[in-house]
Amino acid sequence: MKPVAFDYAPAETLAGALAALAAPGAKPLSGGQSLAPTMNLRLVRPATLVDVKPLPGLRDALETPTGLRLGAAITHAEIEDGAVPDVTCGFLAHVARGIAYRAVRNRGTIGGSLCHADPAADWPSCMAALNATMIVAGQGGERRIPAREWMRAPFVTALAAGEILLAVEIPRLPPGSRWGYAKINRKVGEFAKALGVALPGVLLAGAIEGPPALLGSLDDLPPGLDAQHRQLAAVAVTRAAAMRDAA
Amino acid sequence: MITLTVNGEARRLDTPARTHLADALRDGCGLTGTHIGCEQGVCGACTVLVDGKPARSCLLYAHEAAGKTVTTIEGLDDDAVAEALRAAFSRHHALQCGYCTPGMMVTARDIVLRLGAVDEERIREELAGNLCRCTGYRGIVRAIAEVAANRPVLPAAAPRREAPAVAAPVLATVAPAVELPNRIEHQEALAVPLEAAWAILSDPARIAACLPGAALTRHEGAVLEGTFTASLGPISASFAGVGEWAVGDHAGSVRGRGRDGANAAEGQVEFHLTPAPEGALLNVVLSWRLTGPLAQFSRPALLRGLVAGLAGQFARNLERAARGEAPAKRLSLWALIRAWIFGR
Repeated sequence: MKPVAFDYAPAETLAGALAALAAPGAKPLSGGQSLAPTMNLRLVRPATLVDVKPLPGLRDALETPTGLRLGAAITHAEIEDGAVPDVTCGFLAHVARGIAYRAVRNRGTIGGSLCHADPAADWPSCMAALNATMIVAGQGGERRIPAREWMRAPFVTALAAGEILLAVEIPRLPPGSRWGYAKINRKVGEFAKALGVALPGVLLAGAIEGPPALLGSLDDLPPGLDAQHRQLAAVAVTRAAAMRDAA
Repeated sequence: MITLTVNGEARRLDTPARTHLADALRDGCGLTGTHIGCEQGVCGACTVLVDGKPARSCLLYAHEAAGKTVTTIEGLDDDAVAEALRAAFSRHHALQCGYCTPGMMVTARDIVLRLGAVDEERIREELAGNLCRCTGYRGIVRAIAEVAANRPVLPAAAPRREAPAVAAPVLATVAPAVELPNRIEHQEALAVPLEAAWAILSDPARIAACLPGAALTRHEGAVLEGTFTASLGPISASFAGVGEWAVGDHAGSVRGRGRDGANAAEGQVEFHLTPAPEGALLNVVLSWRLTGPLAQFSRPALLRGLVAGLAGQFARNLERAARGEAPAKRLSLWALIRAWIFGR
């Protein structure tokens, strides 16, 4: 199918992008690898697409003593290929390689994935596990949102209408940190049925129909999940923990 | 008007913003080697090179490619790796109908150039985003492996760590399949007496008044007509349909069909009321079948959260109605789903 007619507005400045996004029916576009399918299926019908990926700074990756500030328009493939500094002992590159397919990873961005907020996506769960911080800009200036308070429901985030995600700040893992990651899907690149993340002192279940859940132990899996999804989440978290502990 | 370079040639295209690159290449440039399969990024048939990197040309609007360099299968005629791949594809019977082949060639060339001499397992992993319904992939994988084996060995990345297949605790069993493929059972405690709840639940008009997004437009005997609107983030669907209403002893059901554009839904809601110490217990079984774009996109797990959230809101509205109060303002989806998943 083809999308409905819309206007395309590539952003040149942050002020211009914020002004364009204030118009009714305007929607930000980043890599478009999740947005374009829903638009082609006419499930999403924007009046204007404001292309935010050309914005200055969105393609910067800045290493600091405490971590990494990744611009929102950095692609999954750039993370996979090590084109950005590694502050997570290889964890982010490992996750990136498992996202969809290479042709999608070449276009899809970390910021776009976080804002689309599909529960089955990798980055919302990983950023929550890493205790990262989102840096967003709106008409009133910049504000910071903890990744653990980011996803509020499937496809719904803490981003207010008209705001843009600029970057995500990822805290550095101590050198030699062990991690584990398990993604359960029927075929490489498909939507995850369950995600498990194990970092030092952190256990997280993702792709669980809503926001990811930090767990003290397997017994903490959210009780509202149906039997199948609880079982898959238990498998994913168990595997992730075993992978971390075997590293 | 946009300008881009296609197969080494500058092109000016006058195309609306909604035209994706695949259509712009085929219709605007006459380059029909780029094939369109699913238009949702799954099949890989439309894969082309954008600034030298493989990309889905159906998931990229032509205006996003302004100023960029695009290479299609036609632009790989004189490319040495593509030439070797064409010969190997022919030798290994790596195509039959040829529909997936342009996308396969672009992806195969990227595998060979980016990864060098790789094993078949990695080739299969990298090919997961290109579907072929003829060959069973064996010929394709062998052809790529043969060409890759003749490439210089690139500095290999550290082997990818895999999550071990350890046994997880078995938590529960799986519900049996039913006539309608999707099924949710849900219970809501109602803080009102059984008969007060039944006074509302025996009347479709009062049910609709308690259900967020629902509107009843006609009720004659067993026939109901109405609309139902649900939204999930940026995605919204508004179904209009007809149903049959049946009522029993503190129990009822609605079986209906509805449409929203190309989306069609068929569903059944069965409910019965049972006494509870503090009022009544509403037991609901919802089953449905969804066809059309929404079904292609959505996963039942996402709808499960939506339904459970709606049921909770319906129950609170019913309690208010039984006490003669107006329905509450619609809660945010966030509040609904959080309350349901985390039980708070």
